[in-house]
Amino acid sequence: MASPMNVKSLFWFYFGFVFVNFASSLWLLLSSVLTVMPMPLPYWLLYTPGNIATAGIIVTALMLALYAYLGVALVLNKLNRGFIPITMVIAFTIGIALLLVRQAIPALAILVIAYVILIGTYAVLISVTTSRASKALWGVATIILALIPPILIGGGLTVINYIRYMALVEQATAIMASAVEAWRLGVEQ
Amino acid sequence: MLIVYAVPSPISSVRIGGFGEADYYASQPIPNVSPGLLVRVFLINGSSVKPVNAFIDVYANAPSGIVHVAMGYSSTLIVPFNSTNWLYALGKWASLGIPFSGYNTSMLVFITYMHGNESWIVPLLIPYNVGWVYRALGKSTPLTATLSAATPRYIVVNAYINVNELRPSRVVPVRLNGTVTDPQVFGTYNGYTVYNCSLSGPQPPNIYTSYVFQPTSTCLGFNGSLPIAWVTWSNGVIQSDQGLQFELNIYFSGTINWDAMSTDYGDLGTSYSANENWILSSPTYTIGSQITQPGSVYWYYENATWAIVNYEVYEVWYVDAPIMYYVGITTVSEVLYVPPNDAYGNAYDYGNGPISMFYNGSITLSEQYFGYPALNASTVFDYAAFEYTPYGEELWECNGPVNTYTGTYYTITLGGVNTAYSLSAAEIGTELGGLAFDIAVDLATEGKATPLIEFLSNVGSAIFDIAGLLIPPSTSTTVTSTYLEFFNVNTGTKLYISVINASAVYGLPTLGFILNATNYYGGPASVTCKYNQWVQIG
Repeated sequence: MASPMNVKSLFWFYFGFVFVNFASSLWLLLSSVLTVMPMPLPYWLLYTPGNIATAGIIVTALMLALYAYLGVALVLNKLNRGFIPITMVIAFTIGIALLLVRQAIPALAILVIAYVILIGTYAVLISVTTSRASKALWGVATIILALIPPILIGGGLTVINYIRYMALVEQATAIMASAVEAWRLGVEQ
Repeated sequence: MLIVYAVPSPISSVRIGGFGEADYYASQPIPNVSPGLLVRVFLINGSSVKPVNAFIDVYANAPSGIVHVAMGYSSTLIVPFNSTNWLYALGKWASLGIPFSGYNTSMLVFITYMHGNESWIVPLLIPYNVGWVYRALGKSTPLTATLSAATPRYIVVNAYINVNELRPSRVVPVRLNGTVTDPQVFGTYNGYTVYNCSLSGPQPPNIYTSYVFQPTSTCLGFNGSLPIAWVTWSNGVIQSDQGLQFELNIYFSGTINWDAMSTDYGDLGTSYSANENWILSSPTYTIGSQITQPGSVYWYYENATWAIVNYEVYEVWYVDAPIMYYVGITTVSEVLYVPPNDAYGNAYDYGNGPISMFYNGSITLSEQYFGYPALNASTVFDYAAFEYTPYGEELWECNGPVNTYTGTYYTITLGGVNTAYSLSAAEIGTELGGLAFDIAVDLATEGKATPLIEFLSNVGSAIFDIAGLLIPPSTSTTVTSTYLEFFNVNTGTKLYISVINASAVYGLPTLGFILNATNYYGGPASVTCKYNQWVQIG
């Protein structure tokens, strides 16, 4: 398992993972319900397509930073599997940059690769867990992550609601797994 | 799971000019939140966007006029679907007996914001379907049967008062004036019934605070045939081009959006849309035989209702005696109703038809209500000409509207039809969030680009809401063309063709060809080509 040295650094990854995902989910839930209620709201709390897209970009940037931190922390602790999240972050960054310059086809190719490495990153997370509970939860999240693309390709936009549920369950299990890890690393040790 | 189902998710979104956005949310019923229209007002000053109190005034468009529905001074105003006044307007639509899926109508919202002695009045059009309201209220009728499954339950309008961009008017004290006189123009002119289109439905409750906003709207309704495309020729053409023949062909099929217009703010959003199917060639007109005097030939659609709404706001303070301030005025031109798949036809106009009335200024309608003649405010966007040169008859073109078929058969296609007629289905789901949204648009238009969307699912289901928004509406338009064909072009033909977009003044999607024998319309000193050159094509 993980060496004592990286324990503290991984704690901050798990803490950030829980915090970012929880904050974004909270924004999602609050804004979507409050938007249709007749009360004054600050602009950032409106559930509008523009704000949703902005939130998506912010969360993506924060998550990429967290994965980069995870990779660096693992590599510094002589765990070479840390290069997997680093590669993923680089691939996503290149993919998004290509999208911004409207190179859709190369961007798509790189993002597909990045997605595959994202599944690999989940496998890395399974390998460094310190409890069976979080290992199982990361395992479920990984399976869902791997199932989404074939289902989406097979079913197209007609199954988008099922994909939504799957993404939510995936997110929930990943948050719980991270919370368990953060608890063990931060409180029990 | 339950939460996913109950949480409102946007199913479409439209941008309204530069000063508003309407988002449509599907949802399960939320306790204590009635389905309806919710207007929010934000003040944009520099980089700050804040909710701000404003006088929000809501009207419902009905087939023959407008109904005052609700008003209030606040930063948010809720108008439930089951408000008495709204139901009154909805009843007018239902009584037409047309399936609700065939057309969309709209709400007309005026936002009046005052700061010191400056004021801003912003009009917005909020498109919606009558069937959505029926569904949300749990009423099912045969008219709702053809609606698609997902229907919005909440319509949320975000209006932006951008004090850096919108020009304010002055708030000035005025003497108390009695009743407002209605325009004395009601009657029948050139086949049009002109009438007062403020429908006498139930009036919304007045609002009593320390001061009171007093809105005054006058609605001038026109019922009759409206022009869709036309050709106008001058006396010079009749003298110079005997024997020249032409046909005016239209091809409109699909959903047509009629956008409301205002002189101060331009395009205010779609006031009415319906599926139409107008495809036909005109007869061949020969100059010298069928056509012997200056005039026009036009295509029209029947039984249309069009309105000019003048909206004024006064502020009344009750201290000892009422003190009245004039806050401002704005004028909106909007199409209220055109029957789906309506009858259409073509006709001559020799000074007593709609082309003369609306565009050639034989009556001063546009000057009276808009302050300038309609054609002056219209833009010529294409030029073409037949000119005799020492090298023989030659056809020159600009902006590429001309197709040549045989030696004497030419077609001038009206360029820019998509833009001018707002026919693009892409209107839904574009320009929603600047750069961030562009990424999502790019992804969704690629169709297969799901990885980033999945990655973004860290925002839960939100990103799928965006993806769902980008599924194009099922009733997209078969895009259309309008073209003018010429026959018998020969040595000696002298013809200058100006293609004009006259849509901007009244909001009636109208494009025309103006034919002259000596120069282009308006006598431009120079004609700028898109490619900066004239091309000889014949």
